[in-house]
Amino acid sequence: MRVLVVEDDAEMAETLKTSLVADSHDVEWAADGDAGYDMALNGAYDVIVLDRMLPKKLGVSVVRELREKGVSTPVLILSALHDEDHRVEGLNAGANDYLGKPFSTRELLARVRSLWHGRGREPQTRLQVGDLEMDLLARTVRRGGKKLDLQPREFRLLEYLMRNAGQTVTRKMLLENVWDYHFDPQTNVIDVHISRLRSKIDRDFAQSLLHTVRGSGYRLEV
Amino acid sequence: MRPSLALLRTTTFRLALVQAGVVLAFVLALLGYIYIATIGQLTRDADVLLDQEYATLERAYAEGGIRRLEQEVGERAARDGPLLYVLAESNGAVLAGDFTTLPAIVRNAPTHIDLNLPQGAGEGGEARGLIGRLIGGPILLVARDLGDSAVISDRIRRVLWTVLVLGVLVSVASGLMGSWLANRRAEDLSNTAREVMAGDLTRRAPVRGVGDEFDTLAEALNAMLDRLEQLMQTTRTAGDAIAHDLRSPLTRFRQKLESALDAPPNTEADRVALRKAVEEADRLLDMFAGVLRLARVEASNNWRFELVAATDILRELAEFYEPAAEEEGLTFESAVEEDLRVMGDVGLFTQAVSNLIENSMKYTPSGGRVEVRAVKRQDGRVEIAISDNGPGVAPGDRERVLERFVRMESARTTQGAGLGLSLVAAVARLHRGGIHLRDGLDNSAGGKGLCAALVLPAAP
Repeated sequence: MRVLVVEDDAEMAETLKTSLVADSHDVEWAADGDAGYDMALNGAYDVIVLDRMLPKKLGVSVVRELREKGVSTPVLILSALHDEDHRVEGLNAGANDYLGKPFSTRELLARVRSLWHGRGREPQTRLQVGDLEMDLLARTVRRGGKKLDLQPREFRLLEYLMRNAGQTVTRKMLLENVWDYHFDPQTNVIDVHISRLRSKIDRDFAQSLLHTVRGSGYRLEV
Repeated sequence: MRPSLALLRTTTFRLALVQAGVVLAFVLALLGYIYIATIGQLTRDADVLLDQEYATLERAYAEGGIRRLEQEVGERAARDGPLLYVLAESNGAVLAGDFTTLPAIVRNAPTHIDLNLPQGAGEGGEARGLIGRLIGGPILLVARDLGDSAVISDRIRRVLWTVLVLGVLVSVASGLMGSWLANRRAEDLSNTAREVMAGDLTRRAPVRGVGDEFDTLAEALNAMLDRLEQLMQTTRTAGDAIAHDLRSPLTRFRQKLESALDAPPNTEADRVALRKAVEEADRLLDMFAGVLRLARVEASNNWRFELVAATDILRELAEFYEPAAEEEGLTFESAVEEDLRVMGDVGLFTQAVSNLIENSMKYTPSGGRVEVRAVKRQDGRVEIAISDNGPGVAPGDRERVLERFVRMESARTTQGAGLGLSLVAAVARLHRGGIHLRDGLDNSAGGKGLCAALVLPAAP
């Protein structure tokens, strides 16, 4: 996957580059907003990782102008300002995801992969992972043909995991996307929700689909 | 700046000058009135008397000619009294009367004049006269000796001047005095402000206790200084607490890295050490995030408030936390009224309530109970009460746990920076509400757990 990193702090950029390369991506780097905009406009990237505070052109402006030019490459904004207003501003400008600094490398990698994975997908009415099937219209879930009884929130949790099947999703991603919560609970709330969901979809079946990725989060895959 | 000159620049001195001007104008007007009412009246009375006398003599001249007039004037002049007479021929030669010469210039029509009586004729002095030329040329003068009244009027005039000068002097002096006094009070306030600026935050402006505007000002200044000192104290405490609380995780962080470095390379052990170091770093970052968030809530006043569907959010939060609570062996119950709405920031509201729920879950031991209740109270406010049957907080400590970084000794071993409740308090203040700590549910030790009630104004 080709990733463009737009970040003015050279040390930060180097760290990002190292992590992304280790996760087997091709990485190019731009050190300011103008250069980032030009490279994004002319190069073919799968994902753009964009710092919010950039010299010459702010990250939010870069995204807005790229979208105006019809560039639909998924954009992840990184920012030290990650309160509600700035997050909404970034997303409204056309960014696909917003990650507050400081963040863990795993969090970043999971989100970059998730962005690429979800890119250009057609609206779906059915999701399938192995023998687990979800009907988004009838709002039913079956595994091996057997109907599973899920609470509404469990349904949304599973839907998000299935849409990101094969990808690691972090607890933070689940909090933001399933519950729309933008704070860190001090307790293991997410783990408990996952284990309840797991008991519904995995307990009676030989093969486990919902895996814990140690230190990162969870992954749904065959 | 010399003090005497400084005094002249004060507002009160300028007011005193205006006041002196007003007093001066008033005294002048008053004196004018008194002058007209006394001396003026004397002159007018004399004029009326002279008119009558002149007319009588004119009539005598008309009836009996110059002989008759000469006789009349002679008789009247001989009489004692305040009136004096002179009759002269058209060339000015005196025929009869009190004087031997005409003391004034003659016009044809009768004219009122002030004149000085010639020495020897009467006592001399001021008089009021009426002089005119009769038909055929003779000149008639009737005069009234003002004698005593002139003395009176002169005295009145002198008194009036004295009053005028005294009045101006007194009003200028009282103005100076007043501005000096006011200046001294203002100087007290300025001195206090200067001393505080120089670093002595314990200084307070003197209050005289007379309840004047300077007292009011001094009290307001003192109240401001109290608040300022309290804030400084809080900041200092917070700074100390941050430094104190940061030391332990930073030390552990350093130790883990150092011991991994000192030990012979061992992939597995290094990995464990690194993971632990990352955990400590996360803890530090969480603390900073908490401090920053709290600072932002406390400092900022540009939050965009919107209608918050409190009922939905509370039910979702209950649903979110219930599984984890049950996992920890807690009985979790929620009762949320329909249609609770507040004006506020959704994110902050959600976080505040979640902090309260997590707080209760954290301190309530397994087998305990956590309840979330939300109602609209009689006074129209929305109350969200989270009660538990944990160890509770002694009534005397309740105020303190809302401060930053304060954790009860019993909680020192658990995680968290002690910012949870202070954030809730800050959020409550921002929403013009409050957080109230009171007795919660009965606990196993025979005491009471904690009930934290977030009270917010309901949206219209």
